[in-house]
Amino acid sequence: MDIESLIENVLNALTAGVTIGCIYGLMCIGLGLIFGIMKVVNFAQGELLMLGMFASLYLVTGGGILAFLGPNIGPFVGALLAGPIVFVVGALIHKFLISRVSGLKTAGSIDDGHFGQLIVTLGISLILQNGGMIVFGSTPFTVRTPLSSSAIEVAVGYGDATVFLNKAKLIACAIAIASALALYLVMEFTRIGKALRAAADNPTAATYMGIDVDKYYRMAFGMGCGITAIAGGLMATYLSFGPFVGFDYVIIMYSGVVLGGIGSIMGAFWGGLTVGFVQQFSALLLPPQLQNAMIFIVFLLIVLLRPQGLFGRSAERA
Amino acid sequence: MTPINRRTALAGATVLAGTRFARAQAKPDVKLAMLVPLSGPWARSGLLEQMGARMAIEDINNNGGIKALGGAKLKLLEFDAGESAEKAKDAAQRMVAQEPDLSGGFGCWLSTFTLAATEVTERAELPWMTLSYSDLITNRGFKYVFQASPTADAQAKDLVPIIMDMAEKAGAKRPSKVALVGDNSASSVSFYKAIREIVIPEQKLISVADEIFTPPLADATTIVQKLRTGKPDFVLLQSTNAGDDKILVDKFAEFGLTSQKMAMVGGGGHWCQPELTKLTTKEHLEGVIVGLANWPGKAMADITRRFIERTKEPWFGHDSLFGYTHVMTYAAALEHAGSADKNKVMQALHTMDIKDGPARFFPDGRIKFDEKGRRVGAKLCVVQWRNGEPVPVFPDAVATHQAVWPRAS
Repeated sequence: MDIESLIENVLNALTAGVTIGCIYGLMCIGLGLIFGIMKVVNFAQGELLMLGMFASLYLVTGGGILAFLGPNIGPFVGALLAGPIVFVVGALIHKFLISRVSGLKTAGSIDDGHFGQLIVTLGISLILQNGGMIVFGSTPFTVRTPLSSSAIEVAVGYGDATVFLNKAKLIACAIAIASALALYLVMEFTRIGKALRAAADNPTAATYMGIDVDKYYRMAFGMGCGITAIAGGLMATYLSFGPFVGFDYVIIMYSGVVLGGIGSIMGAFWGGLTVGFVQQFSALLLPPQLQNAMIFIVFLLIVLLRPQGLFGRSAERA
Repeated sequence: MTPINRRTALAGATVLAGTRFARAQAKPDVKLAMLVPLSGPWARSGLLEQMGARMAIEDINNNGGIKALGGAKLKLLEFDAGESAEKAKDAAQRMVAQEPDLSGGFGCWLSTFTLAATEVTERAELPWMTLSYSDLITNRGFKYVFQASPTADAQAKDLVPIIMDMAEKAGAKRPSKVALVGDNSASSVSFYKAIREIVIPEQKLISVADEIFTPPLADATTIVQKLRTGKPDFVLLQSTNAGDDKILVDKFAEFGLTSQKMAMVGGGGHWCQPELTKLTTKEHLEGVIVGLANWPGKAMADITRRFIERTKEPWFGHDSLFGYTHVMTYAAALEHAGSADKNKVMQALHTMDIKDGPARFFPDGRIKFDEKGRRVGAKLCVVQWRNGEPVPVFPDAVATHQAVWPRAS
């Protein structure tokens, strides 16, 4: 391979890794937020990603609510609006199901409600998958935008080497970074953020301080679902999806959260970014069929060498 | 309690005898099983096969059922193979346990699933017909498995020379560089083994990229980048689901590698599924050539029309055609066997050699299975996307259009 091709290959893998990584990062934040604040391992997070995809699809194409925005803007506004919709779904799931096996109700029990959480979230996952199959059918969908198959071509300045920046992924990446930043600001500088962090650190003490821990847990669960749904809506602009799509991404979410440092919300973003980067960049050196295997090799290495996760120490704990 | 008198006993006996007589007269349904993915990434393929199979069942039953069995009706029992080989195998185990009186079955669309499920059906001595391509399916010495498609290795050996000739006929130079892109499912592995070991040396081709991925694809940048660097004359695309096809086609378009610049040759029925035009655009699909195991020919105009009317699908394609053909082949085997016993059906499938009836649904016009269970003389079909619709271009028995080769080559 000549140097020109090598430069082009490396830079295109790099940009693909970073753009996809940022979207994965947002996806991981949702799970990280739920775990970081509530200590609930949510196995249904993949299905909430799927709900985000379908919410965006129906906003853009189903009811034609966003049709007036056109195919270049509509899908991204749809992705953002999928967040509040799935936030409500998440809050309801918490109110009627998750709250029964988490929070103050299970504090002090032998397993802190973890076995119940495991069964409940797995059950929700199965119900959403199969319910999705009944409601949406098995035909694959996509939120079609011409931007998903067009790129900004940037000349590198070495021969004809060109970097292709996929327009849909660039916009999705920008939205993901902005959403992550917004969440960081909310968590750091607002009263809600402080209450959420207090509820995460010591729910009993937070109760004594007048914080309605159950209410803030519900908000955290809804926010976690909504953020993952925004990531789902963004992914729907360049992927095809169906009711079972969540299964393919839930493993990536867990890898990202553990890589970034369990309990660290912004660490989850960096973890997701690392997963996306490793997934894309490894295909340069190894057969693409080992892309996902590489994620786990890196994952195991980090667990071995730095059990607290890549950003566990430096990242702000929720 | 009312005492039973002679009159009551006589009436009871008459009713009982009548019921027995009626039971003896009623022909029991002949049960066929269909095990295809109805959930997961391959569900759409399974649903299309299901549509074809249901139509065939209705056609046979409306025409008086199985004559050799006194007009017995066919009954289709449907099972979901799910999204993994393990689930397909579990479903097969449930199927044979729940339905011990099946006469035969078919499925599971994806070779990986068929390989797993046929381990179960063979042990249960249940005849099993499949459209799956992997040659491993009929390479295990099984007696009850019947493969209606040309095997993946046979398709590989047939497809590339057809493509090379197509290029020359269209006035382009004979291709010399090829790129291989595909997933690591069983049929793709079989296909590319033959391509690497036999076809590339025989055709004096140079492979400029060999990119095998695990489905589903998250992104195809690195794969397509390698093709951009290698500049092949044509690329073979052995993905196995429409979602991955969409990602590949969109990424090719993004890198300016549309089928007008570099010939794209897909493989398998999913490359011709109607929703591909919704997942990507008809402009991106324009000119994509697809090698597959069967396609409705000119002689199937009536069935095609009825299928479209019935299902509202835009065309009758590979997966639905196989669903239809499998049921029709079983009907012919049941007529041949004169029995619904699964062993007799298996014997009938091994011995029958027909050139009419369901044989008309294949371009080679014959149904005869060899000792391995492979259909003798099974021929590859080639279709090409034109104006948002796949049209058959090879062989002559089904072709309605001439193939078009990319201008730049």
